[in-house]
Amino acid sequence: MSQSSQNTSLQNTQASIPAIQLEDLSQRFGANYVLENISLSVQQGKRLCLQGSNGSGKTTLIRVLSSKLRPSKGDGFILGHSLKKEGDEVRKHIAYLSVLGGSYPSLTATENLEMAASFYGYDSKTAKEKITELLEKVELEKASDKLVRTFSSGMKKRLGIARVLLADAPIWLLDEPYAALDASGRILIDELLNEAVNSNKTVILASHELDRVKDFVDVTLKVEQGKLSRIA
Amino acid sequence: MSDLITLLTIAQKDLRQELRSKVVTVATVFFSAIVLVILAFAIGPESIFLQNAAAGVLWVSLAFAGVISSAQSYQAELDEGAFEQLLLFPIPRETIYLGKLLFNWLFLSVLSLLILPTTMIFFNVGLGSDWPWLLITLLLGCLGFSLISTFYAALTANLRARESLLPVLMFPVIVPVLLAAVQSSDLLFSIAALPESENALKPDMLQQAKDWLKFLAGFDLIYFVLCTAIFRFAVEE
Repeated sequence: MSQSSQNTSLQNTQASIPAIQLEDLSQRFGANYVLENISLSVQQGKRLCLQGSNGSGKTTLIRVLSSKLRPSKGDGFILGHSLKKEGDEVRKHIAYLSVLGGSYPSLTATENLEMAASFYGYDSKTAKEKITELLEKVELEKASDKLVRTFSSGMKKRLGIARVLLADAPIWLLDEPYAALDASGRILIDELLNEAVNSNKTVILASHELDRVKDFVDVTLKVEQGKLSRIA
Repeated sequence: MSDLITLLTIAQKDLRQELRSKVVTVATVFFSAIVLVILAFAIGPESIFLQNAAAGVLWVSLAFAGVISSAQSYQAELDEGAFEQLLLFPIPRETIYLGKLLFNWLFLSVLSLLILPTTMIFFNVGLGSDWPWLLITLLLGCLGFSLISTFYAALTANLRARESLLPVLMFPVIVPVLLAAVQSSDLLFSIAALPESENALKPDMLQQAKDWLKFLAGFDLIYFVLCTAIFRFAVEE
């Protein structure tokens, strides 16, 4: 087999691996099952919206997919890596946006992103350029040297968006991305989702705003009583 | 190399946060000073009683200050979901533990260097020519304490009753560290207070202090390996 055909074969194999594969996965807290026997396969480049009432398990599912929560039963795979056994590998392939934003209040916006860039393996010169570009993109360039504790909820969310973009990961996990955002912040999330479409990212997002995201997502799933059901 | 950079980045982040907020510094320095003053007054003006109590008081104030500092270091992490985000970066979780350990160890070591001269003044003890051994005792004792407090603080970080659970869980485990550190410090303070006529006792006492230091170093090594290896399970939900 020639080198080029070997490469093609490898790429095909890589592309055929589902971005996310859940096999009979359950998550419980104490005796209470929040997710129960969930099986799901999401192909690479697909965008999926999770809908459901408060406490239905959307955030729990996203946290399981991020490898923060270890499945109580069953297993899941992120690009072929087990959530139970290969957490370190899983984390190389995901970017996560939490409801709270996930930034350090006692650090500035730039310092938060510099730390993230260091963890994502950027050299300092590239990191500096990328951070400047991203802060402009999320319209935080004027607040770049301000402590995050002085930010509004929307500004914290914008900083979180910048970190998602900095990660350059193939899978995005976005928990309530529109929460706490004003009109321009919402447009920013729309642009982020458009970028995900253009760069063939796999996106799992939990949102109540079905009308807003319907044009971006391929599938909407309802999370109810620990089960998943397809809406559209 | 990249793991070392990650570790240093985490320690630098903690240091930067503390330099800005000074929450832990103010709480621990104030608390340690109060403990030293109250115990010095409680023991009374008798020089011999003060000298006998010096090592114990030094480590009691350091131990309680250490609990405050380790609990607070995770409190800052929990705000805004920052610790959850830290755990989701593509970095080995061991480096998170080692980075936080490095900061806690440095913080406690600096605090011990502040408390030591205060203890010497209030409790009428000197350093003598064997002061490097006392320095090693402080560094190894602070390391042992930080190894355990950093680990248990992470373990209890997400619990509602974390502030009451942390000392309950960690103090039984920390007893060997405190015993060895108190014994070594006490012997070194005693050597410094020896009159010229009893200098013959010095080599034997110094050897005993070194034996306690070997025990302390061994304990630190075991806990370094153990805590680093199981930290990832401590922060897993």
